[in-house]
Amino acid sequence: MDDAGLAAILRITARTLEVCFSALALAVALGLPVGIALGRRRFTGRGVLISIVNSGMGAPPVVVGLLVALLLWRHGPLGGTGLMYTKGAMVIAQVVIALPLIIGLTLAAVGSLDEDWDLQVRTLGIPPLWRLWLLLREIRLGLFAAFIAALGGILSEVGAVMMVGGNLEGETRVLTTAILMHTQMGQFEMAMGLAAVLLGLMLLLAGLLTAIQQGGRE
Amino acid sequence: MSDVPALAARHLLVLRRSRRTVFELRVEEIDLRSGEALAVLGPNGAGKSTLLRTLAGLERPVHGQIEQKSVAGPVTMVFQRPIALAGSVAHNVQVALLGLHLSRREARKHVEEALRRFGIARLAEQRAATLSGGELRRLALARAFALHPAVLLLDEPFDDLDAAAQDSLSLDLRRAIEDTDVAVAVVTHDLRRALLLSDRIAVLVDGRVEQIDHRERVIAHPATPAVARLVGMSNLIPGEIAREASDDLPVVTIDRDHRIPVTGDVPPGARVWVGLRPEHLKVDVGRGQGTPIGQGTVRHLVSDGLVSMVTIDWAGFELRTHLIAGRGLARTLAPGDQVKLAVRPEDVHLLPRRKD
Repeated sequence: MDDAGLAAILRITARTLEVCFSALALAVALGLPVGIALGRRRFTGRGVLISIVNSGMGAPPVVVGLLVALLLWRHGPLGGTGLMYTKGAMVIAQVVIALPLIIGLTLAAVGSLDEDWDLQVRTLGIPPLWRLWLLLREIRLGLFAAFIAALGGILSEVGAVMMVGGNLEGETRVLTTAILMHTQMGQFEMAMGLAAVLLGLMLLLAGLLTAIQQGGRE
Repeated sequence: MSDVPALAARHLLVLRRSRRTVFELRVEEIDLRSGEALAVLGPNGAGKSTLLRTLAGLERPVHGQIEQKSVAGPVTMVFQRPIALAGSVAHNVQVALLGLHLSRREARKHVEEALRRFGIARLAEQRAATLSGGELRRLALARAFALHPAVLLLDEPFDDLDAAAQDSLSLDLRRAIEDTDVAVAVVTHDLRRALLLSDRIAVLVDGRVEQIDHRERVIAHPATPAVARLVGMSNLIPGEIAREASDDLPVVTIDRDHRIPVTGDVPPGARVWVGLRPEHLKVDVGRGQGTPIGQGTVRHLVSDGLVSMVTIDWAGFELRTHLIAGRGLARTLAPGDQVKLAVRPEDVHLLPRRKD
């Protein structure tokens, strides 16, 4: 592989990380409070919401891509935003894929705490922000499991990002879409190089998160 | 001990709804006083924990008011199944102090003092999640006492502990209550714990406070049959006050052949329950140790190695008495034996009996 090929791989890798981490950050920001609320509060319709989240955890990415594409299509409800075939559209699709995983695994972690955990902490007179910190600390194993699952899901996903990103060179091409394209073109050396980077990234990031997760276990 | 309440609740009505039923807790008046422990005693489902949670502010009463009169510290509660937070034992106590805004040095002092008070200073650096049940209870109490609370509410603090652990924790807790000026309410269904820990006892039955008084008075003079049963006065016999023709002393007539002598100024004709603790029912004793009330038939004997509990048929009622196991009568008695029963009039407690 020549220098141009290596430079292309580096650019695609950087773009992949940018899209994935933006999507993960957004999914965590949205999903964490929802997961905690669903795990701790009892209200009418909670069961239905949990069923939707659980179904979403297994939603086919290609269907998610189709729905996001329909929304962002020129004549779709959000067509005016001009997001179709941009990194923004890819982030949206990946957030939709990651969100149920973050919510579902957070609520499972929160649900495993004692029923009256909140009350017990509250009766100690601990201020609300400290209570939240204690809760996150308490469920950290489950939280990191959620991060690892969500990151794995969006990093390896190809259908949705292909549909809404379009695999445009220098703009929306990421590792998975590039591997697909080079394989279809018979450029196996490049495809193998990209696949090795993707696998390496997966191992590195999952290993890092696992190390943090297990390191926190006293 | 102070007569000024640290926490006072008046005219409380609390409703707890489950799927099909609504549980109602009504409490006219309850005070928790600084330096004093109030045991809340009652059978399962009486509303003891609901009362505690209401006093802690975790349940909202439909009406009534709860007023914290002592501002010397917060109101805090130790739950029936206390949680161990992630981190060390010392961290678990330290976390509870976050709301007090203490300096690091002060916080450390509070933590050390609390751990020492409950005998777990040596476990300070151990992970709280690895503690045994007894150690976790001690941690929960240390965490609560570290806050220097004005009011401390304890929900079954000895649940699931073996007898030795219960005894040792009771003593440490009693000492901690005496050393601090905290007002304590402790929920328990164990009479012995209630007596060990408390100055006063509130007896809760079916969501109502049946009696609240000093422990000696509750034990000796239960106000209702339900309270009598809960405080171990297991012999309850219905009867009517009469006067012995011979010496004009009051007796309770059970039926034509059975009478129980009583003391005091009681109006003839009154319908009563005769309450008699098992240890006050004498079996085959000599003269001077009680007034004979006739013969009974031994129905059943059971012993725990220390005490033999004997069930005796008398006047169509099953009476219970306790004998020291392995000694005297306890060795020779057998089911079917006829025994002479006696009571001392001053040991008999009378409770009013409503017309059915």
